[in-house]
Amino acid sequence: MLADYSDMPSRSLIRRFFDLPLRRKLILSFLAVISFGGIITLVIGTRIEHRTIFSLAESKVRNDLAAAWMVYNEKLNGIRDVVRLSAAREFLPEFFRTGGRDEAAKRLDAIRREYGLDILTLTDAQGRVALRARRPEAFGEDRSGDLFVQRALRKETPAGTSIVPRTLLLEEAPDLAERAYFQFVETPKAAARPGDHEENGMLLQATAPVMDGGGALIGALYGGVLINRNYEIVDRVKDIVFRGEKYKGQDIGTVTIFQGDLRVSTNVLDAQGQRAVGTRVSREVERAVLVDGGRWVGPAFVVREWHITAYEPIKDIDGRIIGMLYVGTLEWPFLDLRNRVMATFAGLAGLCAGFLLVLLWLASATITRPLLNMVKATDTIAKGDLNHRVEIGSHDETGQLAAAFNRMTESLAQANENLAQWGRMLEKRVEERTRELRETQDALVQSQKLASLGKMAAGVAHEINNPLTSITINAHLLLEDRGPDDADRDALTLIAEETGRCAQIVKGLLEFARQTPSEASDADINDIVERTIQLLDKQASVRNVKIIKDLDKSLPLIVIDKNKIQQVVSNLVINACEAMPDGGTLTIVTSPSDDRRQIVLRVADTGVGIPKANMDLLFDPFFTTKSHGTGLGLAVSYGIVHQRGGTIDVESEVGKGSTFTVKLPLEETAPDKKPAKDQP
Amino acid sequence: MTEQTPKKILVVDDEINVCKSIRRALMCDEYEIDMATGGEEALRKEAEKHYDVILVDLMMPGLSGIDLLRSLKGQRSRAQIIMMTGYPSTKTSLHTMQLGAFDYLPKPFVPSEIRNVVIRALEAGRAEE
Ligand SMILES: Nc1ncnc2c1ncn2[C@@H]1O[C@H](COP(=O)(O)OP(=O)(O)OP(=O)(O)O)[C@@H](O)[C@H]1O
Ligand SMILES: [Mg+2]
Repeated sequence: MLADYSDMPSRSLIRRFFDLPLRRKLILSFLAVISFGGIITLVIGTRIEHRTIFSLAESKVRNDLAAAWMVYNEKLNGIRDVVRLSAAREFLPEFFRTGGRDEAAKRLDAIRREYGLDILTLTDAQGRVALRARRPEAFGEDRSGDLFVQRALRKETPAGTSIVPRTLLLEEAPDLAERAYFQFVETPKAAARPGDHEENGMLLQATAPVMDGGGALIGALYGGVLINRNYEIVDRVKDIVFRGEKYKGQDIGTVTIFQGDLRVSTNVLDAQGQRAVGTRVSREVERAVLVDGGRWVGPAFVVREWHITAYEPIKDIDGRIIGMLYVGTLEWPFLDLRNRVMATFAGLAGLCAGFLLVLLWLASATITRPLLNMVKATDTIAKGDLNHRVEIGSHDETGQLAAAFNRMTESLAQANENLAQWGRMLEKRVEERTRELRETQDALVQSQKLASLGKMAAGVAHEINNPLTSITINAHLLLEDRGPDDADRDALTLIAEETGRCAQIVKGLLEFARQTPSEASDADINDIVERTIQLLDKQASVRNVKIIKDLDKSLPLIVIDKNKIQQVVSNLVINACEAMPDGGTLTIVTSPSDDRRQIVLRVADTGVGIPKANMDLLFDPFFTTKSHGTGLGLAVSYGIVHQRGGTIDVESEVGKGSTFTVKLPLEETAPDKKPAKDQP
Repeated sequence: MTEQTPKKILVVDDEINVCKSIRRALMCDEYEIDMATGGEEALRKEAEKHYDVILVDLMMPGLSGIDLLRSLKGQRSRAQIIMMTGYPSTKTSLHTMQLGAFDYLPKPFVPSEIRNVVIRALEAGRAEE
């Protein structure tokens, strides 16, 4: 890995994102938006939800605290009622009058036990202890300093909470001092405090005046319940307020009575499952409630767990803060609730997102599918199938794109077709051109052959004709002199004839070498054919041949040199007849060419045919296979036809016959090159 | 038109053999035949003796047949002039005819041919007189 790598991954990530298929990009973008929105909603929602749930919880806890106070005060009122009713009992004045301490103490203790009091004590009108329910032997102690006693002696019936010192507890009953004593349990968040134990007790108490039958005040009766390690109130509150509601095996609601900051009665449990008495309240609460005298509502760390709590000070009869009443519910069930709500919300949101994602996936297909189709189509077209078309599914932009694409493909195909056509045309033209060129070439070669031959022929002919003249004349003269039975006659005849043949050859040569100016005029080709055949009819070779004429009467006139064409026709006819020494059929056809721009003359025989090897030589001067041939017939015909701008072709099959085809253009075109120059 | 005066004929050809052959072919009592192997000689002879028919080869070294024809016609010769050639062509035949030749005879020819031409020429000459 490279060291410098800082922003590379992100950039390449972005690039990779842009390289993704359209559809995936859409989905990813959507996912990004939805998850961003989702997270924000979730965070804010959690906040709001949290606040809502917790303010609900707090107001509930406030209500619970009020309920707790009701129970607390009910208990206090209960104590007052018991004390007041007890104070009106007969045996108390009787005890003052007659004594009988043991008997009276027994009855007093019975009342105490019956009403669940810890203390029940009688004083005389001066406030001195007269009779203790549990310790009849301990009396005489002056309690006139006690506020409750004072007020009872003023015929009032006060009730309230107060802190009682250990000494008094010891006086009343030693086990109470025992119950009240707490060694502090180390509590993490508690405020620092001198000492390590609490020995005083917290008492719910009431005092009532005791009067004789005449209504004169004779004493006061005070009774109370020591709250320390007495769980009646707190459990009652729990039962009434929380109805024993549990959450995952744990009591949700807890109630505590504090003596100062010390838990003296509670149903909050510690780690061992024991009531967490002896532990102390956290510093914040202590300050807010005990020091400032206010109410505390909110989350607080109670013993070992967070609770939603409400604390209120407990005041004594003088209004001094001596303790606290606490009600709390576990926090985590609320957190759980909140989490459940949020989870439900998140789940629903996720479900929605998933559903939307599926929708988007399907919807995006309607966008990407035409595009993909187009991509596929492009491939197909690129492979050469220009007739491929894209399906037009909709009338939106993709539909328009597809339509435009199809139009483009169409015009591409059109252009391609044009190009192909053009190519084909070009090819044809090239072919034509090549053929023409080759023909011209052939013609040229042939022409050159003829031209050089022509020159030679001109000279030779001239030279030979002079001696031939002498020979011819003399041979004939000699013959004229001889009678019919003369011995030399045959020899002389031979000389004359052969000389004639020589003259014929030279004449042919000259014919061929010379280009007499065309005496061209409008001529009927059929006419020429007819005349030629008439002329040849007498010849031996023609006599035993059947002649078929198929002449197209509708042929137009053609501008040609009649004599020359006649020569061509007669050459072809004579050749044909000579190819059929044992007879056969000669067919002469005239017709227009397919394009009606040429006249076609066809001379066909059923003769011996021409071997392949001879095909190329036919038109060469002096090529002959005949013992008496000059080999000039076709060469001359070739010259004539080509000079006229026409062509002459041959098809042949050995043993079956040959067909010579002459084509003459109706519009006279200049020949490529004249076969020979006119010699002076 | 009497038969006593023989017709005077001149054969002009650079090849003496041809001249002789032609003379032999035409030889008869009615004809008096001279020969010349060149144009100049022919002109000279014509100046001495006015011929009825002159046979002229077209191609001759020196004065050519055409030149001779022109000269003769220039001198207002009364002779009928027959052109002969070993290399006949329509062009030259036309040319000579325009210049006033009586006929145009391609070589080689048989005796009867030359005889016929000469007879026709003589008849034509007679008709002109
Ligand atoms: N119709 C034909 N059938 C078979 N062979 C032919 C035909 N026409 C021409 N040939 C062949 O072509 C050769 C050349 O013909 P060309 O007319 O040029 O000369 P020729 O006929 O031999 O002599 P000439 O024409 O002087 O009598 C002939 O000798 C013959 O072999
Ligand atoms: Mg032939």
